[in-house]
Amino acid sequence: MSGNQEGKSDGPQGTTVDPRPADEPRSHGIVWIVYVLLYLVAIPWYWPAGYRGPLVLGLPLWVAVSLAATLTLALWTAYVIFRYWDEGEA
Amino acid sequence: MDVTGLGFGPGALALIALYLVSMIGVGWLGRMRRQSNSMVDFYLAGRSMGFTVLLLTLYATQYSGNTMFGYTGKSYRIGFEWTVAVLFMFSIIVGYLLFAPRLVAVARKADFITPGDYIRHRFGSSALTLLATIVMIYALGNYTLAQLKAMGAAVEGITDGGVPSAYGIIALAVIMVIYETLGGMRSVAWTDVIQGVVLLTGFTILLFVIPGLGGGLTRVVETLTVAEPAMVTAPSLETCNTWISFVLLLGCGAAIYPQAIQRLYASRNVRVLKRSLAVMAFLPLTTTLVAMICGLTGRVVIPGIEGVATDQVLARLCALVMQQSAAGYWLVVVIFAAALAALMSTADSALLSISSMFTRDIYQVHLRPHSTEAELTFVGKVVSWVVVAALVVIAIGTDKTLVRLLELKFEVLIQIVPCFFLGLYWKRLGANVALLAMLAGLAVALGLTAVGVTKVYGFHAGVVGLGLNFLICAMGTKLMPDHGRERLETST
Repeated sequence: MSGNQEGKSDGPQGTTVDPRPADEPRSHGIVWIVYVLLYLVAIPWYWPAGYRGPLVLGLPLWVAVSLAATLTLALWTAYVIFRYWDEGEA
Repeated sequence: MDVTGLGFGPGALALIALYLVSMIGVGWLGRMRRQSNSMVDFYLAGRSMGFTVLLLTLYATQYSGNTMFGYTGKSYRIGFEWTVAVLFMFSIIVGYLLFAPRLVAVARKADFITPGDYIRHRFGSSALTLLATIVMIYALGNYTLAQLKAMGAAVEGITDGGVPSAYGIIALAVIMVIYETLGGMRSVAWTDVIQGVVLLTGFTILLFVIPGLGGGLTRVVETLTVAEPAMVTAPSLETCNTWISFVLLLGCGAAIYPQAIQRLYASRNVRVLKRSLAVMAFLPLTTTLVAMICGLTGRVVIPGIEGVATDQVLARLCALVMQQSAAGYWLVVVIFAAALAALMSTADSALLSISSMFTRDIYQVHLRPHSTEAELTFVGKVVSWVVVAALVVIAIGTDKTLVRLLELKFEVLIQIVPCFFLGLYWKRLGANVALLAMLAGLAVALGLTAVGVTKVYGFHAGVVGLGLNFLICAMGTKLMPDHGRERLETST
Protein backbone atom coordinates (compact mmCIF):
# COMPACT_ATOMS: atom_id res chain seq x y z
CA MET A 1 0.00 0.00 0.00
CA SER A 2 1.53 3.23 -1.05
CA GLY A 3 -0.11 5.00 1.85
CA ASN A 4 2.20 3.11 4.19
CA GLN A 5 5.16 3.11 1.88
CA GLU A 6 5.05 6.83 1.33
CA GLY A 7 4.44 7.62 4.99
CA LYS A 8 1.18 9.34 4.19
CA SER A 9 -2.23 9.09 5.76
CA ASP A 10 -3.58 5.55 5.68
CA GLY A 11 -6.95 5.67 7.34
CA PRO A 12 -8.97 7.63 9.83
CA GLN A 13 -6.14 7.48 12.33
CA GLY A 14 -3.59 8.78 9.79
CA THR A 15 -1.40 11.79 10.23
CA THR A 16 -2.59 14.09 7.47
CA VAL A 17 -5.92 15.53 6.41
CA ASP A 18 -7.20 14.58 2.98
CA PRO A 19 -6.87 17.40 0.46
CA ARG A 20 -9.97 18.75 -1.24
CA PRO A 21 -10.49 21.00 -4.24
CA ALA A 22 -10.98 24.69 -3.48
CA ASP A 23 -14.36 24.45 -5.20
CA GLU A 24 -16.42 21.55 -6.53
CA PRO A 25 -19.84 21.16 -8.21
CA ARG A 26 -21.29 19.18 -5.31
CA SER A 27 -21.23 22.23 -3.01
CA HIS A 28 -23.43 24.42 -5.23
CA GLY A 29 -27.16 24.00 -4.81
CA ILE A 30 -27.89 25.76 -8.11
CA VAL A 31 -26.00 23.03 -9.99
CA TRP A 32 -28.31 20.31 -8.69
CA ILE A 33 -31.49 22.37 -8.95
CA VAL A 34 -30.80 22.86 -12.67
CA TYR A 35 -29.99 19.15 -13.01
CA VAL A 36 -33.29 18.15 -11.38
CA LEU A 37 -35.25 20.53 -13.63
CA LEU A 38 -33.55 19.27 -16.79
CA TYR A 39 -34.02 15.61 -15.78
CA LEU A 40 -37.71 16.38 -15.20
CA VAL A 41 -37.88 17.48 -18.83
CA ALA A 42 -35.72 14.64 -20.18
CA ILE A 43 -37.83 11.89 -18.54
CA PRO A 44 -41.13 11.79 -20.48
CA TRP A 45 -43.49 11.41 -17.48
CA TYR A 46 -45.63 14.40 -18.43
CA TRP A 47 -46.79 13.13 -21.86
CA PRO A 48 -50.00 11.10 -22.04
CA ALA A 49 -49.18 7.40 -22.50
CA GLY A 50 -49.67 6.59 -26.18
CA TYR A 51 -48.87 10.14 -27.38
CA ARG A 52 -46.57 10.53 -30.40
CA GLY A 53 -46.98 14.11 -31.59
CA PRO A 54 -45.60 15.64 -34.79
CA LEU A 55 -42.20 14.58 -36.09
CA VAL A 56 -39.24 16.86 -35.40
CA LEU A 57 -36.17 15.99 -37.52
CA GLY A 58 -37.78 12.59 -38.04
CA LEU A 59 -38.30 12.00 -34.31
CA PRO A 60 -41.61 11.95 -32.37
CA LEU A 61 -42.05 15.19 -30.44
CA TRP A 62 -41.64 13.57 -27.01
CA VAL A 63 -38.35 11.96 -28.12
CA ALA A 64 -37.10 15.23 -29.63
CA VAL A 65 -37.88 17.06 -26.37
CA SER A 66 -36.13 14.37 -24.30
CA LEU A 67 -33.03 14.47 -26.53
CA ALA A 68 -33.01 18.29 -26.51
CA ALA A 69 -33.07 18.15 -22.70
CA THR A 70 -30.19 15.65 -22.77
CA LEU A 71 -28.20 17.98 -25.03
CA THR A 72 -28.92 20.84 -22.62
CA LEU A 73 -27.82 18.59 -19.74
CA ALA A 74 -24.52 17.97 -21.57
CA LEU A 75 -24.03 21.71 -22.16
CA TRP A 76 -24.84 22.46 -18.50
CA THR A 77 -22.41 19.73 -17.40
CA ALA A 78 -19.60 21.18 -19.50
CA TYR A 79 -20.30 24.62 -17.99
CA VAL A 80 -20.41 23.19 -14.45
CA ILE A 81 -17.14 21.33 -14.94
CA PHE A 82 -15.27 24.46 -16.02
CA ARG A 83 -17.07 26.90 -13.70
CA TYR A 84 -17.31 25.00 -10.41
CA TRP A 85 -14.48 22.42 -10.40
CA ASP A 86 -11.42 24.24 -9.12
CA GLU A 87 -8.05 22.72 -9.95
CA GLY A 88 -6.36 24.05 -6.82
CA GLU A 89 -6.64 22.72 -3.26
CA ALA A 90 -8.47 24.37 -0.38
CA MET B 1 -24.78 -12.50 -31.50
CA ASP B 2 -25.12 -14.53 -34.68
CA VAL B 3 -23.86 -12.75 -37.74
CA THR B 4 -24.79 -15.31 -40.38
CA GLY B 5 -24.72 -13.87 -43.88
CA LEU B 6 -21.80 -11.57 -43.17
CA GLY B 7 -18.99 -13.68 -44.58
CA PHE B 8 -16.10 -11.39 -45.56
CA GLY B 9 -13.74 -12.09 -48.47
CA PRO B 10 -10.04 -12.85 -47.97
CA GLY B 11 -9.01 -9.22 -48.56
CA ALA B 12 -11.30 -7.89 -45.83
CA LEU B 13 -10.33 -10.68 -43.43
CA ALA B 14 -6.65 -9.99 -44.04
CA LEU B 15 -7.22 -6.29 -43.34
CA ILE B 16 -9.02 -7.04 -40.07
CA ALA B 17 -6.34 -9.57 -39.07
CA LEU B 18 -3.66 -6.96 -39.78
CA TYR B 19 -5.55 -4.41 -37.71
CA LEU B 20 -5.81 -6.84 -34.79
CA VAL B 21 -2.17 -7.91 -34.93
CA SER B 22 -1.10 -4.26 -35.12
CA MET B 23 -2.49 -3.90 -31.60
CA ILE B 24 0.46 -6.02 -30.42
CA GLY B 25 2.80 -3.54 -32.12
CA VAL B 26 1.10 -0.68 -30.28
CA GLY B 27 1.47 -2.67 -27.06
CA TRP B 28 5.18 -3.02 -27.77
CA LEU B 29 5.49 0.75 -28.28
CA GLY B 30 3.79 1.18 -24.91
CA ARG B 31 6.41 -1.05 -23.35
CA MET B 32 9.21 0.99 -24.96
CA ARG B 33 7.88 4.12 -23.25
CA ARG B 34 7.95 2.50 -19.82
CA GLN B 35 9.42 4.83 -17.18
CA SER B 36 9.92 2.26 -14.42
CA ASN B 37 9.06 -1.30 -13.45
CA SER B 38 6.47 -0.15 -10.94
CA MET B 39 2.77 -0.59 -10.36
CA VAL B 40 1.99 3.08 -10.92
CA ASP B 41 3.71 2.91 -14.30
CA PHE B 42 2.13 -0.41 -15.28
CA TYR B 43 -1.41 0.20 -14.05
CA LEU B 44 -1.71 3.99 -14.40
CA ALA B 45 0.77 4.75 -17.23
CA GLY B 46 2.80 6.76 -14.70
CA ARG B 47 -0.16 9.18 -14.27
CA SER B 48 0.83 10.76 -17.57
CA MET B 49 -2.31 10.60 -19.73
CA GLY B 50 -2.95 13.70 -21.79
CA PHE B 51 -6.29 14.94 -23.15
CA THR B 52 -6.54 12.93 -26.39
CA VAL B 53 -5.46 9.62 -24.88
CA LEU B 54 -7.63 10.05 -21.79
CA LEU B 55 -10.71 11.05 -23.78
CA LEU B 56 -10.43 8.18 -26.26
CA THR B 57 -9.60 5.56 -23.62
CA LEU B 58 -12.60 6.70 -21.55
CA TYR B 59 -14.78 6.56 -24.67
CA ALA B 60 -13.54 3.19 -25.95
CA THR B 61 -13.81 1.68 -22.47
CA GLN B 62 -17.29 3.03 -21.74
CA TYR B 63 -18.90 2.09 -25.04
CA SER B 64 -18.72 -1.66 -25.45
CA GLY B 65 -19.89 -4.17 -28.02
CA ASN B 66 -23.15 -4.11 -26.11
CA THR B 67 -23.73 -0.53 -27.27
CA MET B 68 -23.46 -1.66 -30.87
CA PHE B 69 -25.35 -4.96 -30.79
CA GLY B 70 -27.26 -5.06 -27.49
CA TYR B 71 -28.66 -1.53 -27.69
CA THR B 72 -29.62 -1.98 -31.34
CA GLY B 73 -31.48 -5.15 -30.40
CA LYS B 74 -33.15 -3.46 -27.45
CA SER B 75 -34.49 -0.55 -29.54
CA TYR B 76 -35.66 -3.12 -32.11
CA ARG B 77 -37.70 -4.74 -29.31
CA ILE B 78 -39.07 -1.70 -27.44
CA GLY B 79 -38.75 1.20 -29.91
CA PHE B 80 -38.26 4.80 -28.79
CA GLU B 81 -38.56 3.86 -25.11
CA TRP B 82 -34.85 3.07 -25.46
CA THR B 83 -34.19 6.82 -25.70
CA VAL B 84 -33.45 6.28 -22.01
CA ALA B 85 -30.10 4.79 -23.07
CA VAL B 86 -28.93 8.19 -24.31
CA LEU B 87 -29.91 9.71 -20.98
CA PHE B 88 -28.32 7.06 -18.77
CA MET B 89 -25.05 7.02 -20.73
CA PHE B 90 -24.90 10.80 -20.25
CA SER B 91 -25.72 10.39 -16.55
CA ILE B 92 -22.42 8.61 -15.96
CA ILE B 93 -20.72 12.01 -16.25
CA VAL B 94 -23.08 13.48 -13.63
CA GLY B 95 -22.12 10.50 -11.46
CA TYR B 96 -18.47 11.53 -11.76
CA LEU B 97 -19.29 15.08 -10.64
CA LEU B 98 -20.66 13.69 -7.37
CA PHE B 99 -17.33 12.30 -6.22
CA ALA B 100 -14.49 12.64 -8.74
CA PRO B 101 -13.23 16.15 -7.82
CA ARG B 102 -12.54 15.13 -4.23
CA LEU B 103 -11.42 11.56 -5.01
CA VAL B 104 -8.88 12.76 -7.55
CA ALA B 105 -7.46 15.29 -5.08
CA VAL B 106 -6.99 12.56 -2.44
CA ALA B 107 -5.76 9.98 -4.96
CA ARG B 108 -2.99 12.19 -6.27
CA LYS B 109 -1.71 12.88 -2.78
CA ALA B 110 -1.99 9.33 -1.43
CA ASP B 111 -0.83 7.60 -4.66
CA PHE B 112 -3.88 5.38 -5.13
CA ILE B 113 -3.74 2.75 -7.84
CA THR B 114 -6.99 0.86 -7.28
CA PRO B 115 -10.45 1.79 -5.96
CA GLY B 116 -9.60 -0.49 -3.01
CA ASP B 117 -6.74 1.87 -2.10
CA TYR B 118 -9.29 4.60 -1.49
CA ILE B 119 -11.61 2.40 0.59
CA ARG B 120 -8.71 1.21 2.74
CA HIS B 121 -7.42 4.77 3.12
CA ARG B 122 -10.82 6.20 4.01
CA PHE B 123 -12.24 3.49 6.25
CA GLY B 124 -9.13 1.64 7.47
CA SER B 125 -11.04 -1.64 7.24
CA SER B 126 -9.64 -4.81 5.67
CA ALA B 127 -13.04 -6.51 5.67
CA LEU B 128 -14.78 -3.65 3.85
CA THR B 129 -11.95 -3.30 1.33
CA LEU B 130 -11.86 -7.05 0.67
CA LEU B 131 -15.65 -7.29 0.18
CA ALA B 132 -15.64 -4.29 -2.17
CA THR B 133 -12.70 -5.74 -4.12
CA ILE B 134 -14.41 -9.12 -4.51
CA VAL B 135 -17.61 -7.42 -5.72
CA MET B 136 -15.65 -5.33 -8.23
CA ILE B 137 -13.67 -8.33 -9.52
CA TYR B 138 -16.90 -10.34 -9.87
CA ALA B 139 -18.64 -7.54 -11.79
CA LEU B 140 -15.66 -6.96 -14.07
CA GLY B 141 -15.22 -10.70 -14.64
CA ASN B 142 -18.80 -10.86 -15.91
CA TYR B 143 -18.27 -7.79 -18.02
CA THR B 144 -15.16 -9.26 -19.66
CA LEU B 145 -16.92 -12.59 -20.17
CA ALA B 146 -19.74 -10.92 -22.12
CA GLN B 147 -17.20 -9.21 -24.38
CA LEU B 148 -15.32 -12.48 -25.01
CA LYS B 149 -18.50 -14.31 -25.99
CA ALA B 150 -19.44 -11.51 -28.39
CA MET B 151 -15.91 -11.55 -29.88
CA GLY B 152 -16.27 -15.26 -30.67
CA ALA B 153 -19.64 -14.75 -32.34
CA ALA B 154 -18.31 -11.83 -34.39
CA VAL B 155 -15.30 -13.78 -35.66
CA GLU B 156 -17.47 -16.79 -36.51
CA GLY B 157 -19.87 -14.53 -38.40
CA ILE B 158 -17.37 -12.56 -40.50
CA THR B 159 -15.59 -15.78 -41.52
CA ASP B 160 -18.97 -17.37 -42.37
CA GLY B 161 -18.30 -20.13 -39.84
CA GLY B 162 -14.78 -20.77 -41.16
CA VAL B 163 -13.35 -19.86 -37.75
CA PRO B 164 -15.52 -21.36 -34.98
CA SER B 165 -16.51 -19.09 -32.10
CA ALA B 166 -14.18 -20.85 -29.63
CA TYR B 167 -11.10 -20.22 -31.81
CA GLY B 168 -12.17 -16.61 -32.29
CA ILE B 169 -12.40 -16.12 -28.53
CA ILE B 170 -8.99 -17.70 -27.97
CA ALA B 171 -7.28 -15.73 -30.77
CA LEU B 172 -8.61 -12.32 -29.73
CA ALA B 173 -8.07 -13.01 -26.01
CA VAL B 174 -4.44 -13.94 -26.67
CA ILE B 175 -3.84 -10.77 -28.74
CA MET B 176 -5.44 -8.72 -25.99
CA VAL B 177 -3.49 -10.20 -23.12
CA ILE B 178 -0.20 -9.96 -25.05
CA TYR B 179 -0.46 -6.23 -25.64
CA GLU B 180 -1.79 -5.71 -22.15
CA THR B 181 1.06 -7.50 -20.40
CA LEU B 182 3.62 -5.80 -22.66
CA GLY B 183 2.90 -2.29 -21.50
CA GLY B 184 -0.01 -2.35 -19.04
CA MET B 185 -2.22 0.75 -18.97
CA ARG B 186 0.00 2.63 -21.45
CA SER B 187 -0.49 -0.10 -24.08
CA VAL B 188 -4.18 -0.48 -23.29
CA ALA B 189 -4.77 3.28 -23.50
CA TRP B 190 -2.84 3.63 -26.77
CA THR B 191 -4.74 0.76 -28.36
CA ASP B 192 -7.89 2.42 -27.03
CA VAL B 193 -6.96 5.55 -28.97
CA ILE B 194 -6.96 3.56 -32.22
CA GLN B 195 -10.03 1.58 -31.19
CA GLY B 196 -11.84 4.77 -30.11
CA VAL B 197 -11.20 6.41 -33.51
CA VAL B 198 -12.36 3.25 -35.32
CA LEU B 199 -15.45 3.13 -33.09
CA LEU B 200 -16.35 6.77 -33.77
CA THR B 201 -15.84 6.16 -37.49
CA GLY B 202 -18.02 3.05 -37.35
CA PHE B 203 -20.91 4.87 -35.67
CA THR B 204 -20.65 7.75 -38.14
CA ILE B 205 -20.91 5.29 -41.04
CA LEU B 206 -23.88 3.58 -39.38
CA LEU B 207 -25.70 6.90 -39.05
CA PHE B 208 -25.35 7.65 -42.76
CA VAL B 209 -25.88 4.14 -44.13
CA ILE B 210 -28.47 2.27 -42.03
CA PRO B 211 -31.51 4.66 -41.92
CA GLY B 212 -31.35 4.79 -45.74
CA LEU B 213 -32.29 1.10 -45.83
CA GLY B 214 -35.71 2.05 -44.47
CA GLY B 215 -36.11 5.13 -46.71
CA GLY B 216 -34.82 7.57 -44.08
CA LEU B 217 -35.69 8.15 -40.44
CA THR B 218 -38.96 9.98 -41.12
CA ARG B 219 -40.31 7.15 -43.26
CA VAL B 220 -39.17 4.57 -40.69
CA VAL B 221 -41.08 6.37 -37.93
CA GLU B 222 -44.19 6.89 -40.10
CA THR B 223 -44.19 3.18 -41.02
CA LEU B 224 -43.88 2.16 -37.37
CA THR B 225 -46.65 4.60 -36.37
CA VAL B 226 -49.07 2.73 -38.63
CA ALA B 227 -47.84 -0.83 -38.06
CA GLU B 228 -46.75 -0.75 -34.41
CA PRO B 229 -47.76 2.52 -32.71
CA ALA B 230 -46.48 1.35 -29.30
CA MET B 231 -42.94 1.58 -30.70
CA VAL B 232 -43.14 5.33 -31.22
CA THR B 233 -45.42 6.62 -28.46
CA ALA B 234 -44.61 8.04 -25.03
CA PRO B 235 -44.14 5.46 -22.24
CA SER B 236 -46.35 4.82 -19.20
CA LEU B 237 -45.60 6.23 -15.74
CA GLU B 238 -44.25 2.86 -14.54
CA THR B 239 -41.85 2.84 -17.49
CA CYS B 240 -40.77 6.34 -16.45
CA ASN B 241 -39.86 4.81 -13.07
CA THR B 242 -37.63 2.43 -15.01
CA TRP B 243 -36.05 5.44 -16.73
CA ILE B 244 -35.24 6.90 -13.29
CA SER B 245 -33.93 3.51 -12.18
CA PHE B 246 -31.69 3.25 -15.27
CA VAL B 247 -30.32 6.75 -14.63
CA LEU B 248 -29.45 5.74 -11.05
CA LEU B 249 -28.14 2.29 -11.97
CA LEU B 250 -25.85 3.45 -14.78
CA GLY B 251 -25.18 6.98 -13.54
CA CYS B 252 -23.85 5.59 -10.28
CA GLY B 253 -22.69 2.12 -11.33
CA ALA B 254 -20.72 2.95 -14.47
CA ALA B 255 -19.11 5.97 -12.82
CA ILE B 256 -17.53 3.73 -10.19
CA TYR B 257 -16.42 1.04 -12.60
CA PRO B 258 -12.87 0.29 -11.37
CA GLN B 259 -11.34 0.80 -14.83
CA ALA B 260 -13.08 4.20 -15.02
CA ILE B 261 -11.83 5.23 -11.56
CA GLN B 262 -8.30 4.18 -12.54
CA ARG B 263 -8.52 6.46 -15.59
CA LEU B 264 -9.38 9.32 -13.22
CA TYR B 265 -6.22 8.46 -11.29
CA ALA B 266 -4.14 8.20 -14.49
CA SER B 267 -4.82 11.68 -15.89
CA ARG B 268 -1.80 13.95 -16.16
CA ASN B 269 -3.59 16.66 -14.20
CA VAL B 270 -7.07 17.84 -13.22
CA ARG B 271 -7.38 20.16 -16.21
CA VAL B 272 -6.95 17.25 -18.65
CA LEU B 273 -9.55 15.24 -16.75
CA LYS B 274 -12.06 18.10 -16.75
CA ARG B 275 -11.73 18.62 -20.50
CA SER B 276 -12.12 14.89 -21.20
CA LEU B 277 -15.26 14.55 -19.05
CA ALA B 278 -16.79 17.68 -20.60
CA VAL B 279 -16.45 16.16 -24.09
CA MET B 280 -17.64 12.74 -22.88
CA ALA B 281 -20.95 14.35 -21.82
CA PHE B 282 -21.87 14.82 -25.50
CA LEU B 283 -20.82 11.41 -26.87
CA PRO B 284 -24.05 9.49 -26.09
CA LEU B 285 -25.66 11.67 -28.76
CA THR B 286 -23.18 10.46 -31.38
CA THR B 287 -23.06 6.84 -30.23
CA THR B 288 -26.04 5.53 -28.25
CA LEU B 289 -28.55 7.53 -30.28
CA VAL B 290 -27.14 6.09 -33.51
CA ALA B 291 -27.52 2.54 -32.16
CA MET B 292 -31.16 3.27 -31.32
CA ILE B 293 -31.91 4.64 -34.78
CA CYS B 294 -30.33 1.52 -36.34
CA GLY B 295 -32.54 -0.75 -34.20
CA LEU B 296 -35.70 1.12 -35.23
CA THR B 297 -34.71 0.93 -38.89
CA GLY B 298 -34.22 -2.81 -38.45
CA ARG B 299 -37.76 -3.12 -37.11
CA VAL B 300 -39.09 -1.82 -40.44
CA VAL B 301 -36.58 -3.42 -42.81
CA ILE B 302 -36.35 -6.89 -41.25
CA PRO B 303 -39.42 -7.37 -39.04
CA GLY B 304 -40.29 -10.56 -37.21
CA ILE B 305 -37.10 -11.21 -35.25
CA GLU B 306 -37.79 -12.14 -31.63
CA GLY B 307 -36.02 -12.73 -28.30
CA VAL B 308 -32.25 -12.90 -28.07
CA ALA B 309 -32.03 -13.11 -31.87
CA THR B 310 -32.79 -9.37 -31.95
CA ASP B 311 -29.14 -8.80 -31.04
CA GLN B 312 -28.43 -9.92 -34.64
CA VAL B 313 -30.33 -6.96 -36.07
CA LEU B 314 -27.31 -4.75 -36.74
CA ALA B 315 -25.41 -7.64 -38.33
CA ARG B 316 -28.35 -8.44 -40.59
CA LEU B 317 -28.69 -4.80 -41.60
CA CYS B 318 -24.97 -4.77 -42.39
CA ALA B 319 -25.42 -7.88 -44.54
CA LEU B 320 -28.02 -5.93 -46.57
CA VAL B 321 -25.65 -2.98 -46.96
CA MET B 322 -22.90 -5.33 -48.15
CA GLN B 323 -25.09 -6.72 -50.91
CA GLN B 324 -25.84 -3.28 -52.34
CA SER B 325 -22.40 -2.20 -53.57
CA ALA B 326 -18.64 -2.64 -53.23
CA ALA B 327 -18.53 0.58 -51.22
CA GLY B 328 -21.19 -0.83 -48.91
CA TYR B 329 -19.11 -3.97 -48.46
CA TRP B 330 -16.05 -2.03 -47.32
CA LEU B 331 -18.12 0.22 -45.09
CA VAL B 332 -19.37 -2.90 -43.31
CA VAL B 333 -15.79 -4.10 -42.96
CA VAL B 334 -15.02 -0.84 -41.10
CA ILE B 335 -18.18 -1.24 -39.00
CA PHE B 336 -17.10 -4.72 -37.93
CA ALA B 337 -13.58 -3.55 -37.23
CA ALA B 338 -15.30 -0.99 -34.98
CA ALA B 339 -17.32 -3.75 -33.33
CA LEU B 340 -14.19 -5.75 -32.55
CA ALA B 341 -12.54 -2.52 -31.34
CA ALA B 342 -15.46 -1.87 -28.99
CA LEU B 343 -15.31 -5.39 -27.59
CA MET B 344 -11.54 -5.53 -27.16
CA SER B 345 -11.11 -2.04 -25.73
CA THR B 346 -13.71 -2.74 -23.07
CA ALA B 347 -12.41 -6.20 -22.24
CA ASP B 348 -8.73 -5.20 -22.04
CA SER B 349 -9.48 -2.34 -19.63
CA ALA B 350 -11.58 -4.56 -17.40
CA LEU B 351 -8.92 -7.26 -17.46
CA LEU B 352 -6.15 -4.83 -16.48
CA SER B 353 -8.32 -3.57 -13.66
CA ILE B 354 -8.96 -7.09 -12.35
CA SER B 355 -5.23 -7.76 -12.46
CA SER B 356 -4.46 -4.56 -10.52
CA MET B 357 -7.08 -5.22 -7.85
CA PHE B 358 -5.99 -8.80 -7.27
CA THR B 359 -2.32 -7.83 -7.10
CA ARG B 360 -2.71 -4.69 -5.03
CA ASP B 361 -5.70 -5.37 -2.78
CA ILE B 362 -5.40 -9.12 -2.25
CA TYR B 363 -1.85 -10.32 -3.01
CA GLN B 364 0.05 -7.38 -1.57
CA VAL B 365 -2.21 -6.72 1.40
CA HIS B 366 -3.11 -10.25 2.44
CA LEU B 367 -0.39 -12.53 1.04
CA ARG B 368 2.94 -10.71 0.52
CA PRO B 369 2.94 -7.31 2.26
CA HIS B 370 6.66 -6.75 1.70
CA SER B 371 6.85 -7.65 -1.96
CA THR B 372 8.78 -5.36 -4.29
CA GLU B 373 7.26 -3.29 -7.07
CA ALA B 374 8.92 -5.52 -9.70
CA GLU B 375 7.47 -8.64 -8.06
CA LEU B 376 4.00 -7.09 -7.93
CA THR B 377 4.13 -6.07 -11.58
CA PHE B 378 5.20 -9.60 -12.53
CA VAL B 379 2.40 -11.11 -10.44
CA GLY B 380 -0.05 -8.74 -12.12
CA LYS B 381 0.96 -10.01 -15.55
CA VAL B 382 0.63 -13.64 -14.48
CA VAL B 383 -2.81 -12.86 -13.03
CA SER B 384 -3.88 -11.37 -16.38
CA TRP B 385 -3.00 -14.59 -18.21
CA VAL B 386 -4.67 -16.79 -15.57
CA VAL B 387 -7.86 -14.69 -15.52
CA VAL B 388 -8.07 -14.62 -19.32
CA ALA B 389 -7.56 -18.40 -19.47
CA ALA B 390 -10.33 -18.96 -16.91
CA LEU B 391 -12.73 -16.56 -18.64
CA VAL B 392 -12.04 -18.09 -22.06
CA VAL B 393 -12.88 -21.55 -20.68
CA ILE B 394 -16.11 -20.20 -19.17
CA ALA B 395 -16.98 -18.22 -22.33
CA ILE B 396 -16.59 -21.30 -24.51
CA GLY B 397 -18.47 -23.67 -22.23
CA THR B 398 -21.03 -21.55 -20.36
CA ASP B 399 -24.16 -23.38 -19.31
CA LYS B 400 -27.23 -21.38 -20.30
CA THR B 401 -28.68 -21.64 -16.80
CA LEU B 402 -25.78 -19.55 -15.57
CA VAL B 403 -26.54 -16.68 -17.88
CA ARG B 404 -28.59 -14.57 -15.45
CA LEU B 405 -25.93 -14.95 -12.74
CA LEU B 406 -23.30 -13.92 -15.22
CA GLU B 407 -25.35 -10.93 -16.34
CA LEU B 408 -25.27 -9.45 -12.84
CA LYS B 409 -22.88 -6.54 -12.99
CA PHE B 410 -24.32 -3.17 -12.11
CA GLU B 411 -26.78 -4.67 -9.62
CA VAL B 412 -23.90 -5.72 -7.36
CA LEU B 413 -21.31 -3.10 -8.31
CA ILE B 414 -23.68 -0.28 -7.44
CA GLN B 415 -23.63 -1.37 -3.77
CA ILE B 416 -20.14 0.14 -3.47
CA VAL B 417 -21.45 3.58 -4.41
CA PRO B 418 -22.06 4.85 -0.81
CA CYS B 419 -18.39 4.21 0.06
CA PHE B 420 -17.49 6.82 -2.58
CA PHE B 421 -20.47 9.17 -2.76
CA LEU B 422 -20.92 9.36 1.03
CA GLY B 423 -17.50 8.27 2.31
CA LEU B 424 -15.75 11.21 0.70
CA TYR B 425 -18.10 13.70 2.34
CA TRP B 426 -19.60 12.22 5.51
CA LYS B 427 -16.85 12.24 8.12
CA ARG B 428 -18.97 10.27 10.62
CA LEU B 429 -19.70 7.33 8.29
CA GLY B 430 -17.82 4.45 9.90
CA ALA B 431 -16.44 1.25 8.37
CA ASN B 432 -18.81 -1.09 10.21
CA VAL B 433 -21.88 0.85 9.11
CA ALA B 434 -20.63 0.99 5.51
CA LEU B 435 -19.93 -2.77 5.61
CA LEU B 436 -23.35 -3.61 7.05
CA ALA B 437 -25.05 -1.36 4.49
CA MET B 438 -23.14 -2.94 1.60
CA LEU B 439 -24.00 -6.46 2.77
CA ALA B 440 -27.68 -5.52 3.10
CA GLY B 441 -27.70 -3.94 -0.37
CA LEU B 442 -26.07 -7.02 -1.89
CA ALA B 443 -28.50 -9.34 -0.09
CA VAL B 444 -31.51 -7.44 -1.47
CA ALA B 445 -30.11 -7.18 -5.02
CA LEU B 446 -29.07 -10.85 -5.19
CA GLY B 447 -32.09 -12.11 -3.23
CA LEU B 448 -34.65 -10.37 -5.45
CA THR B 449 -32.82 -11.58 -8.56
CA ALA B 450 -32.65 -15.15 -7.20
CA VAL B 451 -36.42 -15.28 -6.72
CA GLY B 452 -37.00 -13.85 -10.19
CA VAL B 453 -37.98 -10.31 -9.13
CA THR B 454 -35.79 -8.17 -11.35
CA LYS B 455 -37.84 -4.99 -10.85
CA VAL B 456 -40.04 -3.50 -8.12
CA TYR B 457 -42.50 -0.84 -9.41
CA GLY B 458 -40.18 -0.39 -12.38
CA PHE B 459 -37.03 -0.02 -10.24
CA HIS B 460 -34.17 -2.52 -10.75
CA ALA B 461 -33.34 -4.92 -7.92
CA GLY B 462 -29.88 -3.34 -7.59
CA VAL B 463 -31.42 0.13 -7.18
CA VAL B 464 -33.79 -1.18 -4.47
CA GLY B 465 -30.72 -2.64 -2.72
CA LEU B 466 -28.91 0.66 -3.11
CA GLY B 467 -31.84 2.47 -1.49
CA LEU B 468 -31.55 0.24 1.58
CA ASN B 469 -27.77 0.63 1.47
CA PHE B 470 -28.05 4.46 1.60
CA LEU B 471 -30.72 4.25 4.32
CA ILE B 472 -28.54 2.12 6.58
CA CYS B 473 -25.58 4.45 5.97
CA ALA B 474 -27.72 7.46 6.94
CA MET B 475 -29.27 5.84 10.02
CA GLY B 476 -25.99 4.25 11.10
CA THR B 477 -24.14 7.54 10.80
CA LYS B 478 -26.81 9.20 12.93
CA LEU B 479 -27.06 6.47 15.59
CA MET B 480 -23.47 5.21 15.64
CA PRO B 481 -21.30 8.09 14.36
CA ASP B 482 -17.62 7.42 13.87
CA HIS B 483 -15.81 10.39 15.44
CA GLY B 484 -12.27 9.25 14.59
CA ARG B 485 -12.09 10.99 11.25
CA GLU B 486 -13.95 14.06 12.49
CA ARG B 487 -11.44 14.56 15.34
CA LEU B 488 -8.62 14.23 12.84
CA GLU B 489 -10.06 16.94 10.57
CA THR B 490 -10.89 19.41 13.35
CA SER B 491 -7.59 19.06 15.20
CA THR B 492 -5.49 20.33 12.32
